[in-house]
Amino acid sequence: SEDPSVTLFREYLKIDTVHPKPDYDAAVRFLERVGTDLGLASQKVEVCQGRVVLVLTWQGTNPRLRSILLNSHTDVVPVFEEHWTYPPFEAVKDSQGNIYARGAQDMKCVSIQYLEAIRRLKAEGKSFSRTIHLTFVPDEEVGGHKGMEMFVQRPEFRALNVGFALDEGLASPSDTFSVFYGEKSPWWIKVKCVGSPGHGSRFISNTAAEKLHKVINSFLTFRESEKQRLKSDSSLTLGDVTSLNLTMLEG
Amino acid sequence: STEESDPWWKAFSGVCRDMKLQIKLEIFPAATDSRYIRAVRHPAIGFSPMNRTPVLLHDHNEFLNEQVFLRGIDIYAHLLSALASVPPLPAEA
Repeated sequence: SEDPSVTLFREYLKIDTVHPKPDYDAAVRFLERVGTDLGLASQKVEVCQGRVVLVLTWQGTNPRLRSILLNSHTDVVPVFEEHWTYPPFEAVKDSQGNIYARGAQDMKCVSIQYLEAIRRLKAEGKSFSRTIHLTFVPDEEVGGHKGMEMFVQRPEFRALNVGFALDEGLASPSDTFSVFYGEKSPWWIKVKCVGSPGHGSRFISNTAAEKLHKVINSFLTFRESEKQRLKSDSSLTLGDVTSLNLTMLEG
Repeated sequence: STEESDPWWKAFSGVCRDMKLQIKLEIFPAATDSRYIRAVRHPAIGFSPMNRTPVLLHDHNEFLNEQVFLRGIDIYAHLLSALASVPPLPAEA
């Protein structure tokens, strides 16, 4: 028979919170039900139309102290279902105990682990001085602009009186666990090259294409040097170098 | 902060030591919600307790083994106990 924590995890994985139209209502209903069963206080903050942050709270014995924030996002990225062995929203578990689903790693596992850890501690009769808040936020996979970015500006967030937060990390193929103490900053650059017109039969001077050529070369040279830097030093990880990708060309 | 003098890090790393979890400190190679939490000056650590697991976020056939998942609950139970018991900080006294 299956561990009830695993069953709950699989139940959450079956909720279709996939972009571009995540079923956030179903996720919030499910998580609120689990939280209420655990005796946690529940609060919903609609940061903008249709975007609700669910806050579940286990009150500490000294509520004046700063709290522990356990954050997770409820949305997941899209799938190309034809490339999946099992349907990505059925949470199939194979004979080795591998559970297949979009969100199994990123990051529905963590949401349920937070809740199940609290279930265990409560069952053991534990209580702690600091309050623990769980926040379940929408929109992380599209930049968090209608999720955490707005929520941190709300009075309801300030009222949580956060001292320390946990949020998602990444899987690690080895025995070690990856622990992230900072993150890279995304930087979207748009370069516009303008040049002189003229008849296509001539060697027009000062063309946009020549300028673009220089820009692309310099980007790709930098990209290659960062790639080699990562490759040549085994102590470096992807977070230690600057990655660069040219994703769109228009004109 | 990942200095031993930081009370939050001391609690976090103490649990890892007690549970004999080998950890590797890294910069998260992408962007996530932690950036907004850190931007309003709250310390944050990114951690998903998944070792011995191929990195399959956003990929086809994303999966997690149930034993890895269950051990993660155990790890969080220890982490929450330690973090929620961090003694009052000087600013809180």
